[in-house]
This record gives sequence, structure tokens and C-alpha cells, in this order.
Amino acid sequence: MMTDVLLVEDSPGDVRLTQEAFRAANPAIRLHVAVDGVEALQFLDQQGVFADAPRPDLILLDLNLPRMDGRQVLQHIRGNASLKTIPTVILTTSNAEIDIHQSYSLHANSYLSKPVQLDAFEALVKSINEFWFEQAKLPQQKQARR
Amino acid sequence: MSNVTIKTAEFGSEPEAQLARSEERYRGLLEAAPDAMVVVDAAGEIVLLNVQAEKQFGYSRDELIGHKVTDIIPTGFAERLIADGSRTSAEALAQQIGTGIELTGRRDDGSEFPIEIMLSPLDSADGMLVTAAIRDISIRKAAEEELARTERRYRGLLEAAPDAMIVVNELGEIVLLNVQAEKQLGYTRDELIGQPVTNIIPEGFAERLIADGLRSAEEALAQQIGTGIELVALRKDGGEFPIEIMLSPLDSPEGILVTAAIRDISTRKADEELMKRAEQRYRGLLEAAPDPMVVVNPSGEIVLLNVQAEKRFGYTRDELTGQPVTNIIPIGFAERLIADGLRTDEEALAQQIGTGIELVALRKDGGEFPIEIMLSPLDSADGILVTAAIRDITARKAAEADLINKIAELNRSNDELSQFAYIASHDLQEPLRMVSSYTQLLAKRYVGQLDSDADEFIGFAVDGAARMQQLILDLLVFSRVGTNKIDLARISSQNALDCALVNLGGALEDSGAVVTSDHLPVVRADQMQLVQLFQNLVGNAIKYHKDGVPRVHISASRNEQKKWDFSVKDNGLGIEPEYFEHIFGMFQRLHTREQFSGTGIGLAICKKIVDRHGGSISVQSTPGEGSTFAFSLGEHSQERTHHDD
Repeated sequence: MMTDVLLVEDSPGDVRLTQEAFRAANPAIRLHVAVDGVEALQFLDQQGVFADAPRPDLILLDLNLPRMDGRQVLQHIRGNASLKTIPTVILTTSNAEIDIHQSYSLHANSYLSKPVQLDAFEALVKSINEFWFEQAKLPQQKQARR
Repeated sequence: MSNVTIKTAEFGSEPEAQLARSEERYRGLLEAAPDAMVVVDAAGEIVLLNVQAEKQFGYSRDELIGHKVTDIIPTGFAERLIADGSRTSAEALAQQIGTGIELTGRRDDGSEFPIEIMLSPLDSADGMLVTAAIRDISIRKAAEEELARTERRYRGLLEAAPDAMIVVNELGEIVLLNVQAEKQLGYTRDELIGQPVTNIIPEGFAERLIADGLRSAEEALAQQIGTGIELVALRKDGGEFPIEIMLSPLDSPEGILVTAAIRDISTRKADEELMKRAEQRYRGLLEAAPDPMVVVNPSGEIVLLNVQAEKRFGYTRDELTGQPVTNIIPIGFAERLIADGLRTDEEALAQQIGTGIELVALRKDGGEFPIEIMLSPLDSADGILVTAAIRDITARKAAEADLINKIAELNRSNDELSQFAYIASHDLQEPLRMVSSYTQLLAKRYVGQLDSDADEFIGFAVDGAARMQQLILDLLVFSRVGTNKIDLARISSQNALDCALVNLGGALEDSGAVVTSDHLPVVRADQMQLVQLFQNLVGNAIKYHKDGVPRVHISASRNEQKKWDFSVKDNGLGIEPEYFEHIFGMFQRLHTREQFSGTGIGLAICKKIVDRHGGSISVQSTPGEGSTFAFSLGEHSQERTHHDD
């Protein structure tokens, strides 16, 4: 079975780097991209062009996004009965204490800041893959969806 | 006794008839006189009288004719007619002619009454007769008696008066005085009675009583009645003293007299003089003051002010004197002087003494300006006055407002700058991370696959991106040190050093350095910043090393001010003395990148941390032997205990 990851990220450079890193870490992962919060919600709610979107196994969420930011997306996910069980990890450049605190208050599963060095970033993606898809047990709700 | 025959028989009938006619004529005159009249012979016997005499004395004519005059005028009449050794009857009588003589008359019923008699001689055949005109002066006597009593009473009042009193007649002569006048002036009564009043009051008294063309004496006097007049009195010994006199008129038989009450006002004058001098001195001080000053009485009225007050408030002196102080200081001044249930005036005032009070002043033109007043009490004859020194603080207020504005502006621009530094360094990181990541990706995938130029180019790009990243990270730290609130707490500096060494981790291991320290004290500092400080200093000490094992020693000792001085001593390259100051500046580097990498921000961060703790940092070094960085953490950093983690 394919593993679906939704990356909510507005920077194409970061999107590509993350794709490259996941390709190196686990070729079985399908990385879907939403470039802002609105798109992310459409994807999760299978609206418009995302009508056939799968339910992601993991969401990687940036905080600072156009239109609707990551905090609002997180709030929506946690307020939705069918979405709130999806592990959601904040992946951002911010190291601000307030952002960290807010994210956990909104029940983020973890908070990761993007390393500056390429090696470190690749290592981070590798460990995300290992933790969530090799070690952690995830709820099996895929069948519940079409 | 028969009828009196004035003429003797020996002169014959013709002369007799003549005599009878003349006697008849005389008798007619006698009866026509308004006064009682008796004619007395040399023997003192009454020979003739008129009907008024009969009435006054209560006798019939027959009962008196031939009787002694002493029956009706017991004493004083007959005696005057009697010759003594030195004079004849005629002479004795002559002395009495024409002068009124006061005697006592006695009536038939024995009662007596005062009379005045006028004697005139009458030659007759029987010798010298005396005609006496007798006037009943009961009424006049009673009036005189009354007057005398009044005078006695008046004299009593005069003596009872506390002041010296004199009574002066229209001629300016002293007619009466009391014992106080004697005492004060140093004369006896007799020395003054009848003397001109100018003897004791040389000027101003007599003049007041003198009529001029425009007014009568009464008018002249009336103008002076009841008003106190200040004059100078002259004592017998020549001494002078100031007096105040009060005049009042006194009607008397001798004309209008003037009673003068004389009061010695030496003491009052001296007091007044003293007061005046004090006031002058005070006024002098008031005028010399550079600030406007007003003196206010307990009713809140302005009693005194200086020319500066006139100028500043735009009023003339007369417009303010006597006016409520609220005219110029509407609120807050008068209130401060008013006692309430809990305190007296003095207390209310005392609470305000010496403290500057900021109020608003009102000019005549309605303009307002800020003032500061200083109150001080002034004891005076009129109660406690309050002197208020008023300072126009318009300029100071403006300066204060200006300063506040400037501080706010400075804070804003400082905040903006810090914010800018933070945001810039943070936002710069994003694109830089892209440059850095993709050059690294390029290097990783394509080094060795292109030509050697491409490899070198990629190398420069990777290196540049890395350095820029470090620069941005250091700038971020620097701006955080300046922006973040400093969190002072009692912390172990030993613990801070240990944290710093952990953070240095790899660099420490790679260099093989030996870091030692004294037992470091507990200090009052921001934990994060102290860690950063140690980290930068120890990091530098390791980085700029010579060949051989880098050795770093951290120590702490108390200085004379009982503060802790820290030092970080290394055996590294050392620094030329000319750079001792220089190296703490921003972006200041002493080495090329080929020798040592670095941004030149590390020591600037150290200085900023120490500055924010109120301390100082400096370096001592011998090039080639090593450097010692010394810092203190300022006033708030020392603690009683000498204790580590």
C-alpha cells in the first residue's frame, strides 16, 4: 500500500528539497503538495480539483502560509472528527517559542524546525520516515474513505 | 422814728422848700430804679429806700427807716463806710464807688440771698449819705455755682483720664491740665497754667485753633475734632517725643476752650518704624528675587507682590493688591492654605512648605502658563502670611515634553532597529537556505562530473553561502541580546560555564583544549546571556590558538567594590595593544578568512551582554603569549554567598 504524505508548503524550493529528501528516504511515499492553507483544506475535504485526493497518513505543515496559515489549518484538522486522528507535524523555519507553544496547544504531534544545512535536512526527513512509517502505529482509517 | 428830713431846719423856709423839691425829685429817681435801693447815712442807718427794697427784703418802709443797714446786709456793707486810721469815711467810700461788691442780704423772715451792691455818694444836709443799689444775684450765683461744680467734675474726669490732658483757651494758653500732663512733660501745674501751649507743643497745636479768613475759630477747631493728630511734644528738659492729640471743644464762660488728650506714641512709633524697616527689608528681598513673588494673607488675598509678578501676570500692583490670589492662580493655591477639620491653618501650610507644587497661572490677558510655587510662612502683625515664589516652568515643561518625545522616538527607532535586525536576519535565512541547500545539492550530485572550474565555482558558492549563514546567525544572536528582556536571577556562574562548554562540544574536542576554572560564584545575571558570554570567550580562546595544547583558565575574584571580576585567560596568539578597544566593535576582525573564519560579531555580542548587565569588559594581552579577557557584571551581580552549582 502506498503511503500518502500531505506537504503544506508555499516555497517551491522547500517543496523540491523535501521531495528529493523523501525520494532518498522512502520511494514508496507519495508526497502531495498544497501551497497554502486553503488548498490544504480543499485537499483534506476532497473538494474541487482534490475530489479524488486520498486521506494522507501524515501531514507536514508549515506555519507561515498565504491566505490561511498553518495554525488555522491545524485548528480545522483538530476540530474535524474524521481528520483529527491524522498525525500532523509542524515543519517550519521558525524557532520562536510562541510558535512552538501555540502549535502544541493546537495538538500538533510534533514541532520540527528546518535545518539550515542540506545534510541535516536530509537526515531529518529520514528520521520522520523511520519514526512515523516504520516505528509508529497509525490508525487504519484508509478503508473508511472511498 | 419820723420821716427823714434831709434838710435841717436852720436853712430857712425858702431853701427848705427847695430841698423838699430836690428830695422829691431824688425820691422819684429812687423809685424808678429797677434794683432795690437804700440810702444810708454815715451812722449806718437807713434813711431812705425804694419799693423794690421793701419787696426784696420783705419789710415795709417804716420798719426799715432809721434802722441799721446791718439788719438787712449783716456784714460787709457798713464796714466799707467806716474810716480807719489811715483813711476818712469819704476815702473809704471812694474806694468802693463804682465797683460791684458781693454781699449777703437778709430778709425780714431771716432768709438770706446773695446780692451785689453798687455804692454812690450823696451829699446832703445831714452829711454824706450813701446810696446803695442792691441787686439780687441769686440766679447768677446759682449759675456760677453750677458752673463751678461742672468744672470740678470736669477736673475730676481730667485727672481720671489715662492720658495727659490739657485745656487751652482761645488765646492758646493752658488753663487746665492733669497730673499725667505734669508727669509726661516734666512741669508742675503752676509752671504751665497760663503759659502758651506752644511751650509744650511747639508746632501744629495752636495753628489748628486759629481762624483764618475763610473760617471761624469754631470751624477751625471743628475740623480737628475727633481726629488723631500726630505731633511732637517738648518736655521741660528739652527732650522731644512723638504724641497723638485728640481735640474736643468745651464751652465755658470764658469762651470756647479746647481739651486736648495727649498720648505718648513713642513705643507705637518705634514699633511702626521697626515694622516699616522690616517691611522695607522684606520688600527689598522680594524685589531682588528673580522669580515673581506674592504674599498672601490667611484670607487668600494678595497683600504684597514684586515687579516680576506684575510683569509675568500682566497686572499693575494696584490691580492685584487686596485681590484674591485665585485671580492669578485659580486652582490649588488657596486650597492649600485652608484648614479642614483635621488640621489647622498652620499645619495645612506646613504641609506645603518647601515642596514645589506644580500649578497653572492665569495672566490678565487670559493666557495660562505652567508654574511651580514654593511656599514659606511669614509671621506678621496681621497673622501668618504666606510668601509664594512662583516660577514659570513653561520652558522646563516644554523641555520635559520634548525629552519625553525624544525618548519615545528613540525607543521607537531602537525597537524598529532591533526588530529590523531580527526580521532581516530571520527573513534573509530563507532565501539563503535555498542558495545553501541547492549549492550543496549541486556539489553532492555533480562534483567530479563537470570540469574542474565547475567544481571550484560550486565550492565558492557553498563557502559563501555558509559564511553568510553564520553571519546571519550571529546577527540574530546579537539582536536578541539587545532586544530580549534581560532576566536577572541568582544563578551559578559555574553552571553557566558548564553549559557553554557543552555547547562548544565538537570544537572543544577537535582542538584538544584543556579548560580549567576556579570555583565560580553565584551571581545575579541572565542565565542564557551568561552562557553565551562564556561560550564566545572560551570559543575564541580555543579558536585563536598557537601550536600545542590550547589552555584556557576561567577565574573569579572580588574587587574593591565587592563585585565579582571574571577573567578568561588563554595561551593563544595574543592581541596587539592597539586593537584592545577595537576588537569589541561590530564586524571587527584581526585575521583573514584563510587564517580564521569568523564574522567579527562574537566579541560585540560579549560587550553587549556585559553592557546590559551594567558591567564592563576589557582585554589584556601579550602577543605570542596569550590574552586575558576580564569582565564584571555591574552593581546587581554580586551576591553574599560564594557558592557554585
